[in-house]
Amino acid sequence: MNVEKYPLKAGKQLEVFEFTSVGTKGRITKLVQYSYTNHKNLYNLGFGDKNTDTGEIDDTIISNNGDSEKVLATVVATLYAFTAQYTEALVYATGSTKSRTRLYRMGITKYLDEALNDFEIYGEGNRTWEKFRKNISYNAFLVKRKTR
Amino acid sequence: MKHRNIDTKKQSSITIDPSLDVFNNKVLFPEKLEKANTMLKEIGLPKTKEA
Repeated sequence: MNVEKYPLKAGKQLEVFEFTSVGTKGRITKLVQYSYTNHKNLYNLGFGDKNTDTGEIDDTIISNNGDSEKVLATVVATLYAFTAQYTEALVYATGSTKSRTRLYRMGITKYLDEALNDFEIYGEGNRTWEKFRKNISYNAFLVKRKTR
Repeated sequence: MKHRNIDTKKQSSITIDPSLDVFNNKVLFPEKLEKANTMLKEIGLPKTKEA
């Protein structure tokens, strides 16, 4: 994904990442967290804005900072870093809103050919999983880093 | 803070910031995690190639 990305900070375990979006609305701190689910080796990708005054995290806010592609590319960079560390991990992702899920789908679609070199990618629709296909509306996504 | 070289495709370094470790045992997005657990319990996982 040869798209500009923001510099990343991460905790030692590479499960929490932080970066700063800089755009038309100013500087917005973003947090990405990979949380362990009830399934073995399966992590949930959480992503939202951090209010630097209150410390509260909000994954429903729509920033409209004019840099969505760069933000998405940076989140993907965290996925590469996380799955390089946790090679057996499956990562589940869904948007907090339908529009954000659609944004994820558009991002995957745009870079699908390149992403498939590195990840198995699945989409969930109608309560079943299938290999991700372009132009299909999904509720959630699941990715696994391919082993070399 | 330390820098680590990590494969992030075209961005080779991440700054390790221990202050972020305060979040290690906290779920920052609990609603989304609960939604994931519920959905996965109901429909399970896809059969991955390498499973």
